[in-house]
Amino acid sequence: MIEAGRIALIIALPVAVFSAVAAVAGARAVSDRLYKGARNGILVVFGLYTLALILILYAFFTQDFSVRIVAEHTSRDLPALYTLSALYADKAGSMFLWGWVISLFSALLALQARSNSRSAVSYAVAILAVTEIFYISLVVFGANMFASSSPPPADGFGLNPLLQNVGMLVHPPLLYIGFAGFAIVFALVVGALIARVPGTRDSGLVRRWAIFAWCTLGIGNIMGMWWSYNELGWGGYWAWDPVENAGLMPWLLGTAFLHSMATRGQKNYLQVWSYYLIVFTFVFTLMSPFITHGGIESPLHGFYGSAFPPYLLAAMIVVIIGAVWLAYIRRRDLKKEKRPASLVSREGVFLLTSIVLVVLVFVIFIGTVLPRIVEGLGGAKIALDRSFFDKTCGPIMLLLVFLMGVCPLFGWGKAVWRSAGRNIIFYFLAVIVVCGAILISGVGNWYIAVVVLCGFPLFVIIREWWRNAAARANSKGVSCLGAFLSMLNHNRARYGGFLAHIGIVLVALGVIVSSFYSVEIITTLDIGESMNAGKYKLTYNELVFKQDNVKVSAVADMQVFRNGRSLGTMRPSYDYWFSHEDFFAEVAVRTTVVEDLFVSLVWTGFDPANKGATFRVLVNPLIVWIWVGGGFFLMGGVLSFSFREEDRTGRKNK
Amino acid sequence: MKKKYVIGGAVVLAAVIYLLYLSFGSSVSYYVTVSEFYDRSAELTDTNIRVAGKIADMPVNWDAGELELEFTITEGGKNMPVVYKGTQPAGFKPDSNLLVEGKYGTDRVFHATQLILKCPSKYESIELE
Repeated sequence: MIEAGRIALIIALPVAVFSAVAAVAGARAVSDRLYKGARNGILVVFGLYTLALILILYAFFTQDFSVRIVAEHTSRDLPALYTLSALYADKAGSMFLWGWVISLFSALLALQARSNSRSAVSYAVAILAVTEIFYISLVVFGANMFASSSPPPADGFGLNPLLQNVGMLVHPPLLYIGFAGFAIVFALVVGALIARVPGTRDSGLVRRWAIFAWCTLGIGNIMGMWWSYNELGWGGYWAWDPVENAGLMPWLLGTAFLHSMATRGQKNYLQVWSYYLIVFTFVFTLMSPFITHGGIESPLHGFYGSAFPPYLLAAMIVVIIGAVWLAYIRRRDLKKEKRPASLVSREGVFLLTSIVLVVLVFVIFIGTVLPRIVEGLGGAKIALDRSFFDKTCGPIMLLLVFLMGVCPLFGWGKAVWRSAGRNIIFYFLAVIVVCGAILISGVGNWYIAVVVLCGFPLFVIIREWWRNAAARANSKGVSCLGAFLSMLNHNRARYGGFLAHIGIVLVALGVIVSSFYSVEIITTLDIGESMNAGKYKLTYNELVFKQDNVKVSAVADMQVFRNGRSLGTMRPSYDYWFSHEDFFAEVAVRTTVVEDLFVSLVWTGFDPANKGATFRVLVNPLIVWIWVGGGFFLMGGVLSFSFREEDRTGRKNK
Repeated sequence: MKKKYVIGGAVVLAAVIYLLYLSFGSSVSYYVTVSEFYDRSAELTDTNIRVAGKIADMPVNWDAGELELEFTITEGGKNMPVVYKGTQPAGFKPDSNLLVEGKYGTDRVFHATQLILKCPSKYESIELE
């Protein structure tokens, strides 16, 4: 039966080829019928792909162990919730799901774009059809996605316990959705350049897709951090591993792209720059699986023995060469681009932001691939540790935080300080003086100065909101809150951007403070013994053994005190999983707005006579603000996404 | 107009290269396998390196009180004793691939500051870290 899925995808291939050809022919001949044919082809591909997906999911949920990927990644006792994660725990399965999301979005685009700027969309449909051909071929010919396991085992091997977590349930699909969304944006922008339809980049269609992809990818990355923190038991959330960088780099480039299209309705504004930004965003969405599938060796984890990296590398090279060639044959159109009159203006800051983001990606990219390049050139095998990234990316990220604070101070167009800006410069000088005083007097170290710097954009944004809301309340005679809400409603793109900035600054604060002020203590305790971590005292009261079908757990009972007052019990556990013949820790975290108390049971002998156990305890300040920042980021993304065309076109010098 | 961009670009590039250069030196370490290490042990002793090998099927000494882990890694027919201040990472068992980071001391023991375990390939699962 699963073979039918494979057949459906094989049938989808010629249909996708037809779509690509018909779309190009339709655009050249300006033929409605051909375009309709291409559109229907895209819908058929989506239908066939969905059929394959349903068959696979059916095999997963009915636990049909005669199917290879079901047998390899699930077992009878796997909770139904995580059956879905088992699909993308497989290297072919993850590519398969990603390809399906692309086919879904292509179908949506085909349905959305019935008439507007037809020929640009026509080329976009052709590009997406080719993309689908690539993904389907990878899954059908490059991997054993639909292979059966014969004879079928009585039970499956089971899903890696580390992946049985809500964070890991949503993290990969969010990344695929974000990547696929950027594929749509890429197709539309490139399609517009082929069709010579200026202004497509600035259309609501492209903007909405770009904001959608950017927001989903951002949240996907944050969910990855959340998973790492709550599941892996090392007490951190980001290690600058190549696999993590793989998800971050496309998002940073997508962010740069979004900032490069901040125009005031000028056609062709910075079009060369933003063209290359979206091209490289797309290339980095291919780089991401290239890295996770082993193209760049990750010291930690990834898919092993994947056949995909060479094809992905080839695809990246084809896209880059094709994009450069297209820019060359369309150089006359691209020459008409408009640039900001001055860097000391709001659009100037937008441009600077996108440049700084590109520099950041460049640095991360160098750090990720350099060891491999040096080795490939016949040099020594080298490794870079995470301090390289901290030292290079830290200052660049602070520059971005600073730019977020400066941006609202400038007006559009010429180099004018707005009246608010002239006042705020004094605040900014105060920040510099305070930071300098902190550093020179030795009261605090430079981390404090960094925190003060993060306060700068928050202050500027809130002040801006307050002024605007108050002015609106005055002139319309409504309450401040009402004025504030209607202000958000009337300029959703702009205020969504502010909300996202607040989110990013909160994430930055959480990251900086938790990196520098974290306290870590590892110690071995016997029953009844206590340990101190920061202001906390933890007493190890009991160790309870539990057994079920999949694992034996040793659950510690730790009573937590602060200033002599009991705060309750935390129960970290150390589990032995039969299927994997290995130990996995389940951490316990107590979260407050100020700090997290993170307790991980990292070793015990499973000996009822000697219940000595080793604990890793961390006091991580301000961690929760990383997740709260993610919430603000999501709100900002949703608000921006819901922008209305007239907000933008009707906007003057706001 | 052109000049402005060239100068601007050159300044940015110079700044980035300087930043990379500053950070690179202190963060880079040689990455060798156990047998490669012993071929160049004179040169690599007492410097920060990463050594790759498999956990040998030999006794693992874990002193819970002192939080000290003693074991051996092996590759290419050579064995290297390792001492690590800390606990066993998940998946720590004979035949697992392990990266140890630290220094090989004049006491002929590798003093690890970090253990990075690679998942045995039989799991074949994503473990996006």
